[in-house]
Amino acid sequence: MKNLAIGVSGINAVDNPGPGVGVARSLKEDASLNARIIGLAYDAMEPGIYMDWVVDRSFIMPYPSGDGAAYFDRLAYIREQHGLDVIIPNFDAELPLYVKRAGELKALGIATFLPSMEQFKLRGKDKLAEVAERMGIKLPKTKVCTSLDQLHEAVEELGLPVMVKGSFYKAYAAYTSAQAVGHFHALVAEWGYPVIVQSIVSGEELNVIGVGDGAGGSLGTVGIKKISVTSLGKIWTGVTIKHQPMLDAANRFIRELKWRGPFELECIVKGDDVYLIEINPRFPAWVYFATGVGVNLPVRLVRAALGVDQPPAPDYEAGKLFVRYSYELVTDMVKFQQAVTRGEVG
Amino acid sequence: MPRLHQLALSDEGFVFDPQTGDSFQVSTTGMVVMHSLKEGRSDEEIAQQLVTHFEVSLEEARRDCADFRGQLKNFGLD
Repeated sequence: MKNLAIGVSGINAVDNPGPGVGVARSLKEDASLNARIIGLAYDAMEPGIYMDWVVDRSFIMPYPSGDGAAYFDRLAYIREQHGLDVIIPNFDAELPLYVKRAGELKALGIATFLPSMEQFKLRGKDKLAEVAERMGIKLPKTKVCTSLDQLHEAVEELGLPVMVKGSFYKAYAAYTSAQAVGHFHALVAEWGYPVIVQSIVSGEELNVIGVGDGAGGSLGTVGIKKISVTSLGKIWTGVTIKHQPMLDAANRFIRELKWRGPFELECIVKGDDVYLIEINPRFPAWVYFATGVGVNLPVRLVRAALGVDQPPAPDYEAGKLFVRYSYELVTDMVKFQQAVTRGEVG
Repeated sequence: MPRLHQLALSDEGFVFDPQTGDSFQVSTTGMVVMHSLKEGRSDEEIAQQLVTHFEVSLEEARRDCADFRGQLKNFGLD
């Protein structure tokens, strides 16, 4: 395959890491891809900018707000100056714009591999009941609230404790009505309506990462359990697992929705019962875990985006351990200066 | 397939459940019981085996075996 320039966002490998460095590292590990990684950063302090063995060249991007004109002008500039064959966006907030403008990007010669807008909306927390039904799994009792009165009714009906969730981000446990009201106001102020109230289900918290081919087929899935998480709830150690009912549910998700692109399913599992908690329409930050056990999903996604034939999804072993660690690098201040003044490094 | 048969049991008594990712440690006695259960032996046969391997009466071995199976059941593994 020719030398490919692949844009990757989310290279903020910090205490709440984005998936970008794991994606970039996975791409670099496949020699046949000849990947040149273009880091798409929002801040000069994103560590990926300085990790030149993983990210070859980085650009500071405008935020993907409004109609995204400035953002896409920047992508066109990168394409023109340095080449850009494929982009893997890794932030939830970027996805609606990328999904909307996938056609324009294609016309520019930049491939993506993303769900349709209809699919993207289906994974919203207010639509999970429909998706869970199509996946043949359970959903904790859920109420969608657009007013304080509805919140009180939901808490009354579900009984405490409950989870109070923003429609896109953040979730808090509430053990009293007062806590539920406090979380409700905070979520409305930050993310708007609706707010989702959900019963708390006890069980094992398990996750699946995967990529759907858009025609109902799987490009690979890997199930894991987080053994320990940081104070921000991010995985620190984990282990691969084979919980067949959960993996079957993930394959039904791909098949039923004809999901196109990467995803992460967050589930609670109690025996053979699987409860759907959340669907993330992108790679999780622990994406390299799957690569490490032989399922290089970013590479498979790139091949699918370019329409290159590839073998069926490889299998993996249960019982492989993932350990995240801290590391430091020392480099020249010039790189920081370039990021701040020119918005480009590398 | 019974859950017990899916468990991976190392020579040091480390047990890994590939379905849930749970892991735990069992004693030497526990290892004998688990191996025997995986081989499909009856409780009585396992108790006899414990008597052979350890300095323990048959009655005590039966009790230990029943206790251990109870614990496995609590964990949803038997």
